[in-house]
Amino acid sequence: MVSSNTTAGFGTVRDTTVPKYSTGIAKVVNSALYRYTLGAAVESRIGRILLLAGVPLIWLIMLHVGPIYQMLKISLLSHYPVQPGRESHFTLENYAIFFRESIYFTPLIRSFIFATAATALTLVVVYPVAYYVAKIVRPEGRSKALLLLLVPFWAGELIRTFSVIMLLANRGALNVLLREIGLIDRPIPMLYTSFSLGFGLVYLICLYMLLPLYSAIEKIPSPLLDAAADLGAGPLTRFRRIVLPLSRDGIVSGCCLVFLTCIGVFATPMLLGGPNTVLFPETISGFFHGASDKWPVGAAFALIMLVTALIAAAIFMRLVGGRKRRAI
Amino acid sequence: MRTPFSDVPRTTLTAFYWAFILYLLLPLTLMMAMSFKDANFVAFPIGEWTFDWYVKVMQDKQFLEACLYSIMIAAAATLAATTLGVWIAMLIVADGIRGQIVLFALACLPAVVPGMISAISLRIFISTIDMPTGTAAIILGHTVHAVPFVVVMALTRLRSMPGNLVDAARDLGADSIVAFFRVTLPYLRPALGGGMIFCVLLSIDDFVRTFFLGGYRPTLPMLIFAKVQGGMSPEINAMATLVLVVTAAVGLYAEYFTRRARTR
Repeated sequence: MVSSNTTAGFGTVRDTTVPKYSTGIAKVVNSALYRYTLGAAVESRIGRILLLAGVPLIWLIMLHVGPIYQMLKISLLSHYPVQPGRESHFTLENYAIFFRESIYFTPLIRSFIFATAATALTLVVVYPVAYYVAKIVRPEGRSKALLLLLVPFWAGELIRTFSVIMLLANRGALNVLLREIGLIDRPIPMLYTSFSLGFGLVYLICLYMLLPLYSAIEKIPSPLLDAAADLGAGPLTRFRRIVLPLSRDGIVSGCCLVFLTCIGVFATPMLLGGPNTVLFPETISGFFHGASDKWPVGAAFALIMLVTALIAAAIFMRLVGGRKRRAI
Repeated sequence: MRTPFSDVPRTTLTAFYWAFILYLLLPLTLMMAMSFKDANFVAFPIGEWTFDWYVKVMQDKQFLEACLYSIMIAAAATLAATTLGVWIAMLIVADGIRGQIVLFALACLPAVVPGMISAISLRIFISTIDMPTGTAAIILGHTVHAVPFVVVMALTRLRSMPGNLVDAARDLGADSIVAFFRVTLPYLRPALGGGMIFCVLLSIDDFVRTFFLGGYRPTLPMLIFAKVQGGMSPEINAMATLVLVVTAAVGLYAEYFTRRARTR
């Protein structure tokens, strides 16, 4: 409800022919304040366009493009924030640092290896699950089967990462179980290694793969599979010739989503990784939390990562995607 | 129904599904179980069970403050993201607007940029406009993060809306604004309800943006992160379990909400 004091000053009953509404919107619309401002604006074509497009365009340009643009700008500066008595000039030095020093090069390569491996592993593991839910579970049970898979998704990045520690720590469940069975004498150090990081990444992102795959597989018409079977195609042929090509859209969007998420994961490597598994985001973060003069280098590195990740995703889309997909 | 795997026993896939569920739930279950351990270190087997950690957490002022702070940020970011997202979606579906694909791509940009890079670019951005790190910056960051999801959800719903509903409202004398508030917005409501809850969860879970944009007041993920780095204790498990139970309940409710709206 709109409080009466917005209209009181102008008098609500201006015209006796105006029907009396009981809703708050009607009161606002019939108030003089509205009629002379928004109401008048919306009468003209230009007013309508401004009202519709103004705020969205400003927001999109300022906050969706703006930050990336500023990052690009700062990555080309020699100093930022500019301290008194120092000049800042345009330079490509920040990018050159990356190619000169291997301590920066290695984490990026490592990031890509981890992200690619995690994406491939997730695809292989999640595909049968998505197929099972989409084609084998009866339609009534599908939403329940899906819901069960979504439960861990609500736990959030940090809590899921933390829970992996419970499983893999030296005195965690897995090591204690193995020792109880008598397979090992002393705990296998699993935490803070590539293994724990990979395990954590897959655990973190597997659900992003599930939904695109599920919706793609669900759309495959079952009669198509029946027809293929009647014509003598074996299970493998049917999978290779029908299911796989028709779920291609889901594979492409799932893999891109998982890959880009993996590249940008920040907390997980810090909690599960060790000194030998420093990923690129951690390297970049160092430039922002140490001496503030290193910001341009950090910005340049972030852009290098963004561009290489997007190029990798685009190449993958082109290779696997084949036909063009509509954006909207 | 025949499937390509019909010669392979269907039970194999069923077993695989349940094994996957087990894989998903096992670490979280272990994490929850550990919160009942009656010792101040984290190790299996659990041995003695206790409820004390929960009592301690519920009296922890820092934790309660972080909860309130997170909820406040989530509410503000959700409100802003919903308003902006619907507005952008209305612009994209409007008649006679050119470059819809460009607009849509721009709207989705923050969802494609990896989280870490998005956080850094925002950190640079707020410093170029002289905005201090802290609450406002976090809300801004979470809003940017959530807008694409609202846009996509609102667009899906708007495309299924019969165009003559708005035409009818206009014929009956409503101007564009009234038609939006009395026809389009009520039609969008089911999609927005689920979308808003999703935004709240996104904001409460977010770590990397808060890490770069935040000040000294910790949000929930920041607090848990700081405690994990400080050393393991079942107290953290109790904290995480509480957060998990609440967010899962909210998520389940959102699922129920959107499903009811869909079947209606």
